[in-house]
Amino acid sequence: MNEGEEKFGQIYFAVLGAVALAFGAAELIASAGGGFTWGILDSSGAANPLFLSWRAIILLSVGFFYLSSVKDFAEVHQLAKSVMASIMIWIVAGMAIWSRIAGSIPGEETWFNSLDGFLASYAPPYCPEMFLLPFSLVIMYYIFKEGETEK
Amino acid sequence: MPLSVDERWDLIDKISKQTVTFGAYKHTLKDAIAELTVKPLTGIPVAIAVIYGFWSFFCDFAGTLFTDGFMVRLFDEHWLPWLQSVFPGGLGNPLYALMVDAGHIENGVLVASDTCFESFGVLTSGLFVPFGVVLWAVVAFYLMFAILEDVGYLPRLAVLVDTVLHKIGLHGYAIVPTFLSLGCNVPGVTAVRPLETRKQRFLMITLLAVFIPCGAQIGIMQDLVPELMGWIFLTLAIGYLGFGFILNKIVPGKSPEIIMDVPPYQMPMWRNIASKLWIRTSRFLLVAVPFVLLGCLIVGLMYLTGAMDWLAAVFGPLLMGWFGVPEETVAPLIAGFLRKDLAVGMIGGLMEQGIMTTFQVFTSVVLLCIYFPCLATFVMMLKEENWKEFLGSIASLVAMVFVYGGLIHLVGIMLGVA
Repeated sequence: MNEGEEKFGQIYFAVLGAVALAFGAAELIASAGGGFTWGILDSSGAANPLFLSWRAIILLSVGFFYLSSVKDFAEVHQLAKSVMASIMIWIVAGMAIWSRIAGSIPGEETWFNSLDGFLASYAPPYCPEMFLLPFSLVIMYYIFKEGETEK
Repeated sequence: MPLSVDERWDLIDKISKQTVTFGAYKHTLKDAIAELTVKPLTGIPVAIAVIYGFWSFFCDFAGTLFTDGFMVRLFDEHWLPWLQSVFPGGLGNPLYALMVDAGHIENGVLVASDTCFESFGVLTSGLFVPFGVVLWAVVAFYLMFAILEDVGYLPRLAVLVDTVLHKIGLHGYAIVPTFLSLGCNVPGVTAVRPLETRKQRFLMITLLAVFIPCGAQIGIMQDLVPELMGWIFLTLAIGYLGFGFILNKIVPGKSPEIIMDVPPYQMPMWRNIASKLWIRTSRFLLVAVPFVLLGCLIVGLMYLTGAMDWLAAVFGPLLMGWFGVPEETVAPLIAGFLRKDLAVGMIGGLMEQGIMTTFQVFTSVVLLCIYFPCLATFVMMLKEENWKEFLGSIASLVAMVFVYGGLIHLVGIMLGVA
């Protein structure tokens, strides 16, 4: 990767790391008090309270991974930290999406959900990891660039 | 003519000079990620995320989608009422009680069951437990397990937990039989063979048989008491490490290092995963279904002949006094000899009848996990251990159940919940 790409990566993942850290801290505090829902952001743990504090720990780790990767970002071991943090977001957000898919198929009174009920299952609010998911995908560009360098 | 040692080394040098290329190796991104997953500081958070994904998928696939989404409706709203209406005899008839619904007493009147957890017939609970709940839990578990195996994460997890497991006389590889036992204890017990010494194998088998609940049992627990799962697993993990530490001090023998191959990360091969999933799930069903049906039949017969009431009267004081659970728990404990999942399902029935407090449900479920391995695991233990070791395992097991079960009751009393 060139110097411009490295500089952008450093700033971008520092900001993403700080946001992940803030979300993680909020979820940790929320898990002690039963969670919260703020607009389209859901940290209520309504689906499964056991998972709230677990998610919070993962998000905090994601934040630390991103932040610690910023220095000398182009070096492969540093980049790996950002890749790992993104994979951790994909796991948690992927499971949040899977949870919605699993809940949207069976109906309340009928075997299968109605189309309205199905679509309503995907409406907000969303957990913090789902907000971080699209932003974490930027790492794909850096993985691609690193792959080119390795070749 | 045989070569001397020096000549052999010379030959090795010559061959390696001709075949090995020496030079500086530049780490790739894959290597760097592989390193991150085995270093404790970074590897532990990654393991926490991986286990979160594993558990989350398990709950939503088995619980939300299949069991709660379709199977509960199929069995409770269609299968049970249909059998109740067409099976000859009706409530109170012995054959009907054995095969369909034993019913339960409400205000002095025998009433029909509303759910397959309560009914306890061979054709109702006997089919609902393996096909309505357990099958989906096992599929979810083995699917995720096969993916982690194929990707190459499991050996890294073994490296990561090596230090902790050495404290209890085991090697990091012990995480593989432990993980495998979370699906079914039978292959878990078989998987202890690569452990080096008899001491390590004895420790591993004993800890697996006592503290590791199988996928079937976890599936039923998740369905019945999802809010208690964290506490149940924490209690079992403390027992696993605590008693492992004690056994390591008491049992004579060595716990040497073993060398394990850690393959590079790779994309999972879906053909591989599908065949592993099929083999493991079908084997599991072949073992589980006959035992569940037999368990329903035996427990039903014991109720009908009054043997269960007699056992409840005999063991009631011990259960109440030492473990703090009601005498009705004796029935699930007996069923647990055959299948633990069936036994937890019976506790679900008692819960729905309002016989137990939340703490008693928690204690009963933990007791069911630790009090004895199911019959299939028991047979496997006999096969893998000699008589001396087997008796040692049983003696350790009895001691652990009484000490740990009593401790849990004591903690409950101190917290004012027992």
